[in-house]
Amino acid sequence: MKLRPFSTEQIYARFNVNFLGNVVTLMSDFLIHYLWEKRWFFFAVIVGAGIIMAPLPEGLTEDGKVVLAMSVMATIMFVTEPIPLPGVALLIILGQVFLLGHDSSIVAKSLWNDSVLFILGSLMLAVAIVKQKLDKRIAWLIVRITGTKTSRVCFGISVISGLLASFVGEHTVAAMMLPVGITLVTLTSDDPRKVRNLAAVVLFSIAYGASIAGIGTPSGGARNAIMIGYWKEFFYDPSNPETSKFIINYARWMLFSYPIFLIQVPFVTMVLLFTFRPEYRDLSRAVVKLRQQVEAEGSMKKTDWVAIVMFFIVLLGWVFFSDKVGMGTIALLGAAAFLVAGLVNWEDINSGVNWGVVLLYGAAISLGIEMKETGTARWVAENFLSVLSPIGVGDGFGLWASISVLTTAVTNTMSNGAAVAVLGPIVLKMASVAGESPIIIGFITAISSSFAYLTVVGTPACTIVYASGYLKTTDFLAVGWKMALISTIIMLIGARLYWPLLGV
Amino acid sequence: MTQGLTNSEALIEYRKSRYRILVCVDGSDESYRGLQYAARLGAAPDADIVLLYVRPIDQGLRTGGLQVRVARENMLNWGLELPGIQYLKKGRDMLVGTEELANQWEIHSAHADVVGDPLGDNKIGYTNNQGKSIVLKLKTASSVAGGILDQYELGPYNLIILGSSGRAGGFAKNLWDPAIAEKVAIHAPCSVCVARELETGHGMLLCTDGSEQAMEMVNKAAQMSKRVGAEVSILSVSLDDEGEVEARENVTKAAELLRSLSIEPRNILIETGNPVEQIIEAAKSYTFVAVGDTGRTGLKRFFMGSVAFKVMEFANNSVMIVR
Repeated sequence: MKLRPFSTEQIYARFNVNFLGNVVTLMSDFLIHYLWEKRWFFFAVIVGAGIIMAPLPEGLTEDGKVVLAMSVMATIMFVTEPIPLPGVALLIILGQVFLLGHDSSIVAKSLWNDSVLFILGSLMLAVAIVKQKLDKRIAWLIVRITGTKTSRVCFGISVISGLLASFVGEHTVAAMMLPVGITLVTLTSDDPRKVRNLAAVVLFSIAYGASIAGIGTPSGGARNAIMIGYWKEFFYDPSNPETSKFIINYARWMLFSYPIFLIQVPFVTMVLLFTFRPEYRDLSRAVVKLRQQVEAEGSMKKTDWVAIVMFFIVLLGWVFFSDKVGMGTIALLGAAAFLVAGLVNWEDINSGVNWGVVLLYGAAISLGIEMKETGTARWVAENFLSVLSPIGVGDGFGLWASISVLTTAVTNTMSNGAAVAVLGPIVLKMASVAGESPIIIGFITAISSSFAYLTVVGTPACTIVYASGYLKTTDFLAVGWKMALISTIIMLIGARLYWPLLGV
Repeated sequence: MTQGLTNSEALIEYRKSRYRILVCVDGSDESYRGLQYAARLGAAPDADIVLLYVRPIDQGLRTGGLQVRVARENMLNWGLELPGIQYLKKGRDMLVGTEELANQWEIHSAHADVVGDPLGDNKIGYTNNQGKSIVLKLKTASSVAGGILDQYELGPYNLIILGSSGRAGGFAKNLWDPAIAEKVAIHAPCSVCVARELETGHGMLLCTDGSEQAMEMVNKAAQMSKRVGAEVSILSVSLDDEGEVEARENVTKAAELLRSLSIEPRNILIETGNPVEQIIEAAKSYTFVAVGDTGRTGLKRFFMGSVAFKVMEFANNSVMIVR
């Protein structure tokens, strides 16, 4: 057989004219861009495949290894977001069926529990509350109490945002109060440059006020409900009455974390005023105009009162009846009540709630429970501790602090609910391996997950105020690290001195 | 003027006869300086300026499950303006102020819905009696770079100007972080100008390697310099001493082309060394560096990179990639 001489030009020329050549050229251009856009997805898949194919480490079962691979892949995708996050939830479900060989009905059941219902109901309630348009009244209430001095108004905004956010969720309050903040700023001066620092102080008062309050009650944020779900799933054993202390109800959660929130509030205002130094010391011009706007609204209507009363009933339900029927049920009851009373349209709820979040948390919790059942959580926890012990933070206060730092680092890179869902099983197992109280460790994780002050995407409230366009991403860095430091110190002091008094 | 043309093909043909500049504003000083430059470029009656602000579609996942639109609708109920509108209005005031013909502009507006966003795209156009138009556009897109490129698709442009403040790789990324400028520069089919510390009055530096693309670039940049009345200098970089002869030929060729367009080049420079470093070094005393796109696509660009994009990425002053 004789080989024909050839030149590369000839080959290119022949290749370019036929159909296949065109397809290859198209594909190469397309593939390069596609692969580059989705590089983290493929990175996650390769890492996952590597873990599954690696030899079985000591102390881990075959199923446990698969769950470990799934968790690592999910974490990489939570952080880098190569595909929409609800897509990650779908992959988790598929992984449980195809990789672990579970029956699909069993997987489907594991997606829903009281925590997920609670997240679902709280979000629907949140939209219903924002739609009541009580924001102007709240704004007026704030300035009537605080007067017109900038520092006092900002403190008032933080306190009221915080008190509200602790019950209705930080995203709700941020959405309600954002126009209040911007109105105060724009009424002071039309030129955004003259009020840059004032805008930062007012808007951060809303965002951080709401963020620090998100820890106050279980309804403050999805992460709290997730942690409550994990405690029950991991430690509660119906046959052993001793373990009933691991069922944390609404009131008991408040007892632990509400004081921590209250102590933080004055620090928020101090840090903000110190960092940004607003241009105007007095907001009387804006306040007078705001009063005119509120007066144009007329007095409180009957429906306003009905909405407020209904919300208080839901709140009382959470405090007194969540033990018996579950917090999720009461949240759903509240949402249903608003719909029955005609105070909110289904269309508003439908377009205001991001349903992907519910799916995402459902899948993440389901994966977390899988981590516990296959022993992966315990294995990871033991390995973690074997790293931490030699440097002296394997137990006691050192462990608390390192878990807090770990959670803060993770939560700044992904949504805080996802952070708790991913870290929860590991830190709870670490607690039981190291002989620490899982309740204290759990609270530290749930509370630290709200310390995502550094980035725009860290906490829901920050994302919402950033959408106003008045803040820069660098502002979050400038003030965020101070807040993170102060919050961590306050929480650790609380954990050391206050929580032991509550008998854990 | 454009209102009368309902047939979209006719509209695009009409637009091709105009000198159209797309200016992307984000409220930063850099972007407004870019706009001022655009105002000078577009001072002639056959030029149109489109001001664009691209807002990313809000992501509900980041907000704990409550869509940002709930907050936005609430803001609208209070009668508050959304962020981009202020920036665009300021840009318009700057443009109309330089024209001193504010009351001769005729206004028309348009709106298009975007799935998943309460506001969608909004557009306000101003046309004067000479047929010159200024358009303000608030656009919603899944990414800023994607939005700018989509806008190109809607009507061909001769030049895209975007501001770039801050250096690459910083922890705190600006809205116009280099990634956006880079993406637009790579994918846009027209010339792209990345404005950085844009100070007019120092003239333009054209970098040529003697290739056809480079000569085409010299041609286009020369036309542009006529519009603003800027001085033009030429630079060619040889890799080593042997290449100097070739570099000299390159600059002579470019200088001849300029003279044929009745522009006298101010400086003619020949440097030896790494093209990227030499261009950046020489560019320090000019307002603008103009580099031709080498025309590499796909695989080749991915693996080999290009002098043009490296200059754009690392230069300290404004860079124009001419196509």
